[in-house]
Amino acid sequence: MSEHHITPLKTYLAVAGTLFFLTVVTVWVSYFDFGSFNIVIAMGVATLKASIVALFFMHLLWDDKKNLTMFVMSLMFLGIFITVTLLDTGFRGGVNSEVESPINNRAAFYDSLPLTDTHGHPVDEHSADHHGEGEDHH
Amino acid sequence: MSHDNSSPKFLQHHFHDVEQQYETAKLGMWAFILTEVLTFGGLFVAYVVYRSWYPEMFVGANLLLDVNKGLLNTIVLITSSLTMVLAVWAIQKKNQKLSLFMLIATFLFAFMFLGIKYLEYSHKFEVGQLPGEYYSYMGPEIAHLNNPHIFFSIYFIMTGLHGLHVAIGMGLIAWLIYATAKGNLNSEYYTPMEMIGIFWHLVDLIWIYLFPLFYLI
Amino acid sequence: MAENQKQNYLTHPKGIMSWLLTLDHKRIGLMYLFGGIAFFFLGGVLALGMRLELAAPGNDFVSNDTYNNMYTLHGAIMIFLFIIPAIPGALGNILLPLMLGAKDVAFPRLNLASFYIYTVGALFVMYTIISGGVDTGWTFYTPYSTTSTSNVIPMTMGIFVIGFSSILTGLNFIATIHKMRIPGLTWYKLPLFVWALYGTSLVQITATPVIAITMVLLILERLLGIGIFDPALGGDPVLYQHFFWFYSHPAVYIMILPAFGIISEIIPVHSRKKVWGYKFIAFSTLSIAFIGFLVWGHHMFTSGQSVFSQIVFSFITYFVGIPTGVKIFSWMLTMYKGQVSFTPPMLYALSFLFLFTIGGLTGIFLGAVALDIHLHDTYFVVAHFHYVMQGGTIIAFLGGLHHWWPKSMGTMYNQTVANICCLGVFLGFNGTFFPQFLLGLRGMPRRYATYDQQYAELHNYSSFWSGILGLSIFISIMNLLWSLRKNNKLDPGTNPWGGMTLEWTHTTSPPHPHNFEEEPVLEHGPYDYDKVIVEPTFKK
Ligand code: HEM
Ligand SMILES: [Cu+2]
Repeated sequence: MSEHHITPLKTYLAVAGTLFFLTVVTVWVSYFDFGSFNIVIAMGVATLKASIVALFFMHLLWDDKKNLTMFVMSLMFLGIFITVTLLDTGFRGGVNSEVESPINNRAAFYDSLPLTDTHGHPVDEHSADHHGEGEDHH
Repeated sequence: MSHDNSSPKFLQHHFHDVEQQYETAKLGMWAFILTEVLTFGGLFVAYVVYRSWYPEMFVGANLLLDVNKGLLNTIVLITSSLTMVLAVWAIQKKNQKLSLFMLIATFLFAFMFLGIKYLEYSHKFEVGQLPGEYYSYMGPEIAHLNNPHIFFSIYFIMTGLHGLHVAIGMGLIAWLIYATAKGNLNSEYYTPMEMIGIFWHLVDLIWIYLFPLFYLI
Repeated sequence: MAENQKQNYLTHPKGIMSWLLTLDHKRIGLMYLFGGIAFFFLGGVLALGMRLELAAPGNDFVSNDTYNNMYTLHGAIMIFLFIIPAIPGALGNILLPLMLGAKDVAFPRLNLASFYIYTVGALFVMYTIISGGVDTGWTFYTPYSTTSTSNVIPMTMGIFVIGFSSILTGLNFIATIHKMRIPGLTWYKLPLFVWALYGTSLVQITATPVIAITMVLLILERLLGIGIFDPALGGDPVLYQHFFWFYSHPAVYIMILPAFGIISEIIPVHSRKKVWGYKFIAFSTLSIAFIGFLVWGHHMFTSGQSVFSQIVFSFITYFVGIPTGVKIFSWMLTMYKGQVSFTPPMLYALSFLFLFTIGGLTGIFLGAVALDIHLHDTYFVVAHFHYVMQGGTIIAFLGGLHHWWPKSMGTMYNQTVANICCLGVFLGFNGTFFPQFLLGLRGMPRRYATYDQQYAELHNYSSFWSGILGLSIFISIMNLLWSLRKNNKLDPGTNPWGGMTLEWTHTTSPPHPHNFEEEPVLEHGPYDYDKVIVEPTFKK
């Protein structure tokens, strides 16, 4: 097996560096509000990172291209699954607008749930603030 | 037909040569990766569909997750991916000691990942941010939103399945540590290490998507 | 050498453990075969029970609840425990390495693991039956499946587990086909059965993971109320159908593609003619496998999915007909001017052509939205899928079994009995299911134990012929098993049909434990009947 491609150490370190850098970038960007572009950016960066992992760490760049095909195929079928499902869920209501999205009323069990503070402890509606503070000191 | 005595002991009888055995294992591994992608894929579909139906709820609910812990875990996992690949690199370079060290490091990083995940989960359990009908958190940030239990269902199922993969990965890496220490894996034959490495990178790769999907956007 | 010649995989090595722990693909294949046939029998008994109930309009034999359990178990057992694993697991396992000239599949241990995972899944199903059954139908549609009090969880767990067995078989075959061929056996020299298994395996590994995760979500919905499929919790039951059919439509190609492969082997051999349109058949397999991923919504035309996706799904469904038609025509042209001999395998192949064509064409009818809104959930659909699954897959399976029986078992069954049984199957099948098209057109809904008087005649007719069908299949299997009696061995050199693929020309019947005594050297293509003469040899 000695004739297999051995990637130089430098490449691996550079790849890891890039991954760390992109991680920081994506967190940083998430603190700005670009509207729906935030999703696009986050997914773009994630895809870039994922491709780097696949090509370098998983050796797809140097491997037999069959393996790459296998991987790309998995993404393609996932893409089909997502898009074609969205063709339904995103376009309901063409005939009856009531079915546009799921019966959007809150699930029944919420009716019996008390409001809580940020620790998940029930608060009663009048003294919400006071109660919340008190709990904090435990 | 039966192979002569000079053929290495790890060569299984139904292969011609080491190269064929190695390439076959790798192709099989990639076919397996494909199935993994599609298993998680089903959950991604659920995520996308529900996000498109409940956009505000998703944005509101993701603020309840701890970005710092998520970020820390991302870094831990990327580092473990690096140490994994270096373990393979070291063994290719005939440095079994370094390889062993890297495997142990990978194992520890994996452990750390699960530890951090445990902290996150236990906080969620405490405050009642639980999947499905067990959901009970009605804090001020979220009380007005529609069906946040769905977000937490998807969150727990996806990260839970991912965590299960981390745990399985740890088992496999533990076995690699044993095999390398015993000298069963060496620069001539390290196929299992490379295959488990590919699996481990997949675990990383999936987290690369889970992190922004749940914590950032 | 002479000593060696007597050795075959059935008798060597000996002992029960050498079977249970075997890594030999042929033995694993046989274990799959007998497991599959056992479930075929169980599913068949349930089917005949249902037909008995339906022979007359009232609740004469079983209660409504029992009937619900019967059709659910019948469907689930036939599909998940028999049809899906049977051809790839049994015939595929036995034949694939032989056809490639390989000593074994790529991952023999995984192959054995796959069989045992199948067994574990089967145990879950058995447990479901013993502990009271399940009444949701084999599709487990939500929200009924999340509220039904029957044993949904063990059943879906079983399907989850069996899914892994299917995935491992597919993965193994893909690696095998890519990497284990002997030198010179290029893609276009592969027997078409191998192409079919390749397409099947691709579908197995791409679609099956989705049913696994779907079953997990369904179980979690029942246990935790996760709210993904349950409308009461803000979820969407139609999404369940997307998940289910994203697997289960491609799964119908897991069932039919290997059957196509068998037919592509039987027809040229028994017509002694080179296959017509080799590449057409090969590539239509792959394109069916691919298009099969784009049409799942045709099962959901009345579910409330968006009109837009209905149109898209309907449109793409028609395209499935093209590669399917290409295959049918290629087989017919293969027979044209050949020396067709009416052996049992060939009779099954001819039945297949007739029955599958009806099944496929009615599928296209159902693919038209407007028509399907009328026909959905009626007996028309029941008839359609029985024409493709039983008239297609099971008939091809029986044909394949008769074709390769002398190869894998080294014995020859009584061919006259086999031919009569084949005729019985053909008549019994049409008698049972053709009336169901008419019932469906007249509005008889599926999954009811009772029905209106107006349907009585056709139902009664269908029930009568189902008896003939069941009996014929039973006798044909018994006929095969009877050939295993003592002192009925064929000469190891037998090639009863004059097949040209490696499993006929280069190894004994039954094959050597390591498949070939020496690695085969390829001398001709799989169907070169125009160039080489391979005479059928048949010696006791
Ligand atoms: C030419 C190809 C085919 C077409 C266009 C086609 C089309 C359809 C359509 C539109 C339905 C839905 C009917 C309804 O529920 O209203 C259906 C049902 C079904 N088809 Fe096919 N089909 C084809 C081939 C096959 C094959 C090859 C198989 C299996 C071997 C198969 C198995 C089934 C099954 C099992 C169902 C019913 C599922 C259920 O609701 O329980 N079909 N088919
Ligand atoms: Cu379909």
